[in-house]
Amino acid sequence: MELDLLWVEKYRPKKIRDVVGNELAKTAFTSWIKDKRRRKKAVLLYGPAGVGKTALVNAASKEFNFSIIEMNASDTRTEKAINKVGKPATSFVALDRFSSESKGNILFLDEVDGVFGQQDRGGIKAIINIVKESLIPVVMAANDTDQKKLRPLKKVCKLIRFQQVRIPLIIHTLGKICAAEGIKPEFEALERIAQNSLGDMRSAINDLQSIAEGKQLLTLQDTIFLTTRNKDIGLYDTLKGMFSAESVPQAAIILNRSSVNFDDFLLSFSDNLPLRYPDKDDLATAYDFLSKADVFRGRVGTENWSLLRYFFHYLAEAATVSPKTFKPFDFINPPMRIMKLFWTKGKRTKLENICTKIGMRCHVSRNTAKTDIVPFIQIILKKQKSNPIVTWLKLEPKDVDYLVTMNKI
Amino acid sequence: MTINNEAMWVEKYRPKTLDDIVDLTHVVESLQAFLKNPHSMPHLLLAGIPGTGKTTVALCIARELFGEKWKSFTLELNASDERGINTVRDRIKDFSRYGRTGFGEAPFSLIILDESDQMTGPAQTALRRIMETSSRTSRFILICNYSNKIIEPIQSRCAVFRFSKLDKVAMVEHLKKIADIENLHLLDEAAKRIVEYSEGDLRHAINALQTTAAYEKDVIDEQTVLQVFGEASPRQVQMMLNKALSGNFLEARKMMYDLIGQYGFSGTEIVRQMQRELVKVPHLTDSQKAELTNIIGEYDYRLTQGANSDIQLSALLAQFSKFRT
Repeated sequence: MELDLLWVEKYRPKKIRDVVGNELAKTAFTSWIKDKRRRKKAVLLYGPAGVGKTALVNAASKEFNFSIIEMNASDTRTEKAINKVGKPATSFVALDRFSSESKGNILFLDEVDGVFGQQDRGGIKAIINIVKESLIPVVMAANDTDQKKLRPLKKVCKLIRFQQVRIPLIIHTLGKICAAEGIKPEFEALERIAQNSLGDMRSAINDLQSIAEGKQLLTLQDTIFLTTRNKDIGLYDTLKGMFSAESVPQAAIILNRSSVNFDDFLLSFSDNLPLRYPDKDDLATAYDFLSKADVFRGRVGTENWSLLRYFFHYLAEAATVSPKTFKPFDFINPPMRIMKLFWTKGKRTKLENICTKIGMRCHVSRNTAKTDIVPFIQIILKKQKSNPIVTWLKLEPKDVDYLVTMNKI
Repeated sequence: MTINNEAMWVEKYRPKTLDDIVDLTHVVESLQAFLKNPHSMPHLLLAGIPGTGKTTVALCIARELFGEKWKSFTLELNASDERGINTVRDRIKDFSRYGRTGFGEAPFSLIILDESDQMTGPAQTALRRIMETSSRTSRFILICNYSNKIIEPIQSRCAVFRFSKLDKVAMVEHLKKIADIENLHLLDEAAKRIVEYSEGDLRHAINALQTTAAYEKDVIDEQTVLQVFGEASPRQVQMMLNKALSGNFLEARKMMYDLIGQYGFSGTEIVRQMQRELVKVPHLTDSQKAELTNIIGEYDYRLTQGANSDIQLSALLAQFSKFRT
């Protein structure tokens, strides 16, 4: 037994089928690699850490016999540096491509999301250029693709999403490792490790090694020293994690670890709630909790951070009104309100302008004009288009047209 | 009553002097006492439900203080349109300091802040200071629906007047007077019906009366009035309410986003309209309406506490969709 080897390295998947979970992503990636006339030269694998993105690329390289030219976060990646490695690698087709064993090279850029700070100026542009000119496939991996700066990159890539590995699969894999290491584990212990990892296979294996290496028996007792992993969870995963949580504390833990902006999160949570609870009673209960959470969000404001725990609590309650009914569903994203406000801006401005005119004349605010006066004016104008109020309110013909044709408030 | 050629009747028949004001004797009397010696007039806070004459009283005071040139001495601002601290710092502060320069006879300049309960907290705090420093040169009339939304230091600097719902009989009489001048044949029942639906809001009543005139009928009867109120009642809100009550949450929420998006309503306004419309839903019993009003009340309260109206409204609609009718 090689004691000094990390288990994550030792048990790294050798074949594509050894990569656990994420079957959809695996198929998508394999067919892209195999496809000689692929439409997009680059692929971006994205998803949380430790779910097998790098493992898949490595396994695929072994299986299909191509060599990997790799650059990751530990290399500086300014425009210059990227061009230095990327340009030659991508401008020539490797000679040994014609020999029977090798299928050529691919360029693999790991962790493309975390590196384009001040130090890596121009990096993203260089990558896009390389993708455009490359003669060989380019594979990239990232955790967080929501960043603005990655947007242009996403346009030129085929996107493949990875999700957390499901807990039973992790338990199964941990069991296999234990068997290979000659350890007898209690099922509950493996379960605990798996749950604690939140779908991060790598951290689960690391945890297992840290508490089980050299032992013959692994008990639940051994796992109590496991530190909770402070993983950064994005909006999508927080939603998913919370909605699938089985108890209030579990949902609260997920929220606690999450790095989301609470205001955005509340809106997304609200938009997705009806999809989570098809039952009306559940939905009403959940919304009531959400509403209370929102009230506490208001009270927290920017200073009373100690109240945040109640916010967490109510939100966790809202997520777990009936844990048994959870079925996976597609999330609505981004929040509906923002979309709606965006699409209807023109109409809103027209009405606002009209209401400003009315408000000036009638000594009321725009809002009062809108609610108390516009409905009457609409009727009057429908009956008498040239009623004297038109000139008196200084309404232009287009205002009148808008008021007459506008849907009733 | 002086008549001018303004086209909206609410303006045309807005009283020009305090004596013309409908049914507010107690308020008017104490105000007239102040006006006898303008220098002794304190800042005023006029509080009460919409359409009871608060703005009218303020404008009358301006007229009585400054005569026909009142507009030169008065700054009229609607706080719900311009509610930030910058308005207070720039426009109000400047006017309160320099408003009077050049107008010899006037005792001070007047600043009317309508819907001042919509002002943000910081803006109110800034205002409080200005009220103090400028008291030699200007007076404030703050108008609001809810005086509890005005911070206490401001309240204590003002003489507070409360406006309650107008008397129904007085309103009916007033409507008939207007109808006479406009040569409308307004039936008694019709006038009563308008007043009943307007719930003590005279502005609403007069607007409704003017709308009935647009139907160009010889006699304005109850039927016409019902027609006007049927058409003028906020249909979107009504539909949203019905969708929610029939259990169709998603549709209802879509309409809510329409109200916010297309018409730019705020959460509080939508809740207020819902409450207004709820009373009119035909197939609900009184006790059901009461129960639903309780729910609305709870969420209206949370709206004032919460950070996000979308969520509170969605939650309210969800409670309605659960409600068994």
